[in-house]
Amino acid sequence: MLIAKDLNKSFSGFPALKDVSIEVRDGEVVGLVGENGAGKSTLMRVLAGVYVPDRGSLSLDGEPLRLRSPREANAAGIGIVFQEQSLLLNLSVAENIYLGQEREFTSAGVLNWPRLRSAARRQLKKVGVDVDPKVRTSELSFAARQMVELAKALALEERTQHRLVILLDEPTSVLEQREIDILFERVRSLRERASFVFVSHRLDEVLAVSDRVYIMRDGGVVAERLASATSVGELHQLMVGHELQAEYYRESAQVAARDEVVLSADNLSIPGAYKNVSFELHQGEILGIAGVIGSGREELTRTMFGFLPYAGGTLSVNGRPVRFRAPSEAVKHSIGYIPRERRVEGLVLPLSISANITLASLRSVFTGLGLNHGRERSLAREWVQRLRIRARSIESACLHLSGGNQQKVVLAKWLNARSKILILDHPTRGLDVGAKSEVYDLMRQLSAEGVAIVLTADTLEETIGLCHTILVMRDGEVTARFAAPPHGKPTQVELIRCMV
Amino acid sequence: MNPAAAAEVDQGTGGPKRRTGHKGRFRRYLPFFALIGLSTVIGVCNPRFFEVANLVRVANSSCIPLVLGLGSTFVIVLGSIDLSVEGILAVGAVTVSLLVQNDHNTNHLGWGGAILATLLCAGLGFINGAIHVGLRIPSFMVTLGTWFVGVGTATLILGGSTVRLLDPALRSLALNRFVNLPWAVWLALAALAITWFLERFTRFGRYVFAIGGAEDIAALSGVPIRWVKLRVFALAGALYGLGGVMAAAQLGQGKAVIGDGRLFTTVTAVVVGGTALTGGEGGVLNTVVGVLIMSVLVNGMILVGISPFLQQAVQGMLIILSVALSIDRGSLKVVK
Amino acid sequence: MKAAVEAGKTGVEFWSGAKLRAAVPTVLLIGLILTIGAIRPSFLNANTLAEIAADTATLFTLATGVTFVVIIGGIDLSIQSVASLSSVIMALLLPRYGWGAFPVALAAGLAIGVGNGFAHVGLRIPSFIATLASSGIAASIALVFSQAHSVTINETGRNFLAWISGRFLGVPTLILIGLLVAALGFWLQQYTSFGRYSVAIGAGEAAVWASGVRVGRQKIYAYALSGGLAAFAGTLLASRMSSGSPTLASELLLPAISAVVVGGTAITGGSGGIGRTLIGSLLISVIRVGMTFVGVPIFAQQIVFGMILIAAVALTLDRGKIFVVK
Repeated sequence: MLIAKDLNKSFSGFPALKDVSIEVRDGEVVGLVGENGAGKSTLMRVLAGVYVPDRGSLSLDGEPLRLRSPREANAAGIGIVFQEQSLLLNLSVAENIYLGQEREFTSAGVLNWPRLRSAARRQLKKVGVDVDPKVRTSELSFAARQMVELAKALALEERTQHRLVILLDEPTSVLEQREIDILFERVRSLRERASFVFVSHRLDEVLAVSDRVYIMRDGGVVAERLASATSVGELHQLMVGHELQAEYYRESAQVAARDEVVLSADNLSIPGAYKNVSFELHQGEILGIAGVIGSGREELTRTMFGFLPYAGGTLSVNGRPVRFRAPSEAVKHSIGYIPRERRVEGLVLPLSISANITLASLRSVFTGLGLNHGRERSLAREWVQRLRIRARSIESACLHLSGGNQQKVVLAKWLNARSKILILDHPTRGLDVGAKSEVYDLMRQLSAEGVAIVLTADTLEETIGLCHTILVMRDGEVTARFAAPPHGKPTQVELIRCMV
Repeated sequence: MNPAAAAEVDQGTGGPKRRTGHKGRFRRYLPFFALIGLSTVIGVCNPRFFEVANLVRVANSSCIPLVLGLGSTFVIVLGSIDLSVEGILAVGAVTVSLLVQNDHNTNHLGWGGAILATLLCAGLGFINGAIHVGLRIPSFMVTLGTWFVGVGTATLILGGSTVRLLDPALRSLALNRFVNLPWAVWLALAALAITWFLERFTRFGRYVFAIGGAEDIAALSGVPIRWVKLRVFALAGALYGLGGVMAAAQLGQGKAVIGDGRLFTTVTAVVVGGTALTGGEGGVLNTVVGVLIMSVLVNGMILVGISPFLQQAVQGMLIILSVALSIDRGSLKVVK
Repeated sequence: MKAAVEAGKTGVEFWSGAKLRAAVPTVLLIGLILTIGAIRPSFLNANTLAEIAADTATLFTLATGVTFVVIIGGIDLSIQSVASLSSVIMALLLPRYGWGAFPVALAAGLAIGVGNGFAHVGLRIPSFIATLASSGIAASIALVFSQAHSVTINETGRNFLAWISGRFLGVPTLILIGLLVAALGFWLQQYTSFGRYSVAIGAGEAAVWASGVRVGRQKIYAYALSGGLAAFAGTLLASRMSSGSPTLASELLLPAISAVVVGGTAITGGSGGIGRTLIGSLLISVIRVGMTFVGVPIFAQQIVFGMILIAAVALTLDRGKIFVVK
């Protein structure tokens, strides 16, 4: 039995796990659910030895357990099947299963291929998949690779005295239904050999395969339920938590959108990502897109800014069809993008605040012989004041700003470029409460000034609170659209019903 | 949850990448077909190409590039690069010339001298690796530095002059034959056999591929990254040293400029053979094919009557062509 | 609030630390000149110093082009071949076409630079391999043109080069040319969008791309500039040597890259500039001349440069930026 007690882990000051305690009993399948950013993946990585917790303890079969590396976790019989697959595609299946363990198959320094392969075949048999261990992993389908990963985890059996604990981090996200059924059947039949911890966004799956479910929210475990005694609806409620406070999202400041359509999509499609998406975005409107990972909303947002070319349908700006091949073309059409990865795609961190503010509109500070540094500085100072960016000077590198101030610099960049359409991709991720509310204020202000905003938010609360209109996506299609006027907002449960 | 819809969409995401299949396999054997095609074309243009004497000439001109290429192959499979070929080779050639019978001093170490020179070069390669791994400096920068340190050292040792290598045993590498082939060719084949064994049948060899495939994943599985890299650079150094010994034996002299132009042919051969600069793909057998392509090309250019001055240009275009063909344009990773 | 204060404090420390580090090459340069002067007072003579400065002009011209490539996050290993090719073109065309030789040589350099850029950006080939390949191509062309010989420039041709090796108002023209190149580099870096984008791309390419900048185009500009300046350096060399040869500049690649890195431009890109390269070039020249003054054999100088290069890279490298070092 694996017991985690009061685990804590933070990343650069932001707590990702807060006093998390869970138990995994022998032969049990434990489900783990929660919204994006609730801490599920962090917890899995702590259990797998990838992260060392700041505080808290683990114990295995009553003995205290300290994990400093994945190797130590393996030695204790804990294996993980990652969300993003972690096989080496350029090596054979057999080599992948025993990577790092080749010593067992070498004598006098010579690798015994037949023995390695037959051992690998034995592991593959456990998961009931018929794959030649000689084959390069790159030639396998995703489903077969997943099975190989499972076989790799099961191979730990021969190297530990403990019963296995296998962590499955979103294993179904790349599989077809038929493949998912096979995976679940295997998991059930392998209970004799191992316990499982199963993370998934698809709650019905979690209930179907698990014995017990932990529900996480904001880095903590908020509830524990027997799978037989709960329902998808109850899990939703627990994941979402407290009731919405209208004023937090400045709902009273929400003004109706204008009539002019600035951005519209007509049957927009990218095979494999989303299809037949249509919407209209008006001046001053905040349009929210809700959906789980894999629903296609990420791809849709990135299409609007030219990262991904669309295959079918039309995207129009101000009524004219456009086809962006790169972000530079979207910027020309007065579109701005505030990325989720603020530190990678939003800012050039080592550069000064002023250089970042003018990055998307360098022309605005050109005179005569070239770049006018005085003009750039005064422009930057203006934005720093208007958006209340707190920094020592406009020459400070953005690296040293707090998350909220960094986000305001990104916003200033687009405002200086006179963007009329802003695409906000998780704009409040990693911000503290104060910084969040400032961002909300700014969004309301911009919307009132006529800027159109497309929002994909971290939480449903945020989407509902801020938006005029909400599109809900599931499996690449728009399943619903809700009008969300100040006093007629849809509820989270209504949205979730269309999301999963 | 609507299972039917989910299945449909997932099929979409999974579809295009499902199998690399025949196309991937064809791409892997492309260099081999290119070699056959090239030989045929040259043979048709000038039938003398297929005469035994000419084929022996091709084999003979391939042996030093092969030994150098074998060393570089492991480095490139790691995903790194070694630009110090010419420097280390020069040090090897000059030291071996001074350790065996020569016209500069009274040393007379014979094969012992060749082994010492090779070991010294292994040490230089080890230093490459140690600086790269220890100080976390990109390998191309480290080896750019040691390239010139090596050439400078070789120049300094001889004070800019040339030393004649007089040892009959070493000279026999180039002058004497066994089954119609010079001993140097047999030595290169022995080096090939050993490196192929290392690549296929040792943990070290498999770890080189694992690191080249994805260093972070390999590290998570407990592959000793730093140790493997150190050994790869040391092995490369040893093979460059051996190449230096062979070059000195062939020319009958040691001098600092003996390695000039070797880096270019080495990297070209490895890359043209199908070993990807991104790491994890290819191997020593690919390098054999690559070296043969280069030798046949040069031989053919002479037979057909193309200016030898154009060799470097042809090599340069071959590099660009083969790297461009091998790079996965689907990935949006930043290329530096 | 407390966090903000702390962030401010580390900011101060960061800046003073960075400023200190940026000053190191200058301090080193002055210290080195004074030390050599103390050992050999004749070194501090105005003529010797002017000679060193004139000597630096070619190296600095080469290094200026490489600076932008390095800032943007790449490398150019073809400059020595391009410079040699340009010297060959000059030697062959000057006697016949006079001034017309200059644009041809420069155009050849630009063309190879643009080719580098396309191979790197369009075909996604790592810059060091693309430029290594084009270096071979340029060397081949030079070999074919010159038939592998050194081509001496005759009297007629030398007339067109006299201005380079002469003096203007008592100052060696080469020094003025060097200053002009520095001014051009400084203007590009400080007052053009190319200069701003270069630093930004080197420091965070993804964010620049996502700000709507055509990143590929800026990179091609950088390689074109590097090729063009290398060709210009080749004409300077041809003038000094009164000849062109396919190996004329082959010893200059390492000093040029060393000059960039020693000056404090990190090989990882995103920081540095022309001022630093100027200091770096002078440092390299002083070290070279100083070694001869102090009596280090010429043959050992490459060893010293190789080690300086590695040491300088190790000191300026931004290790936070690279997770897997290849």
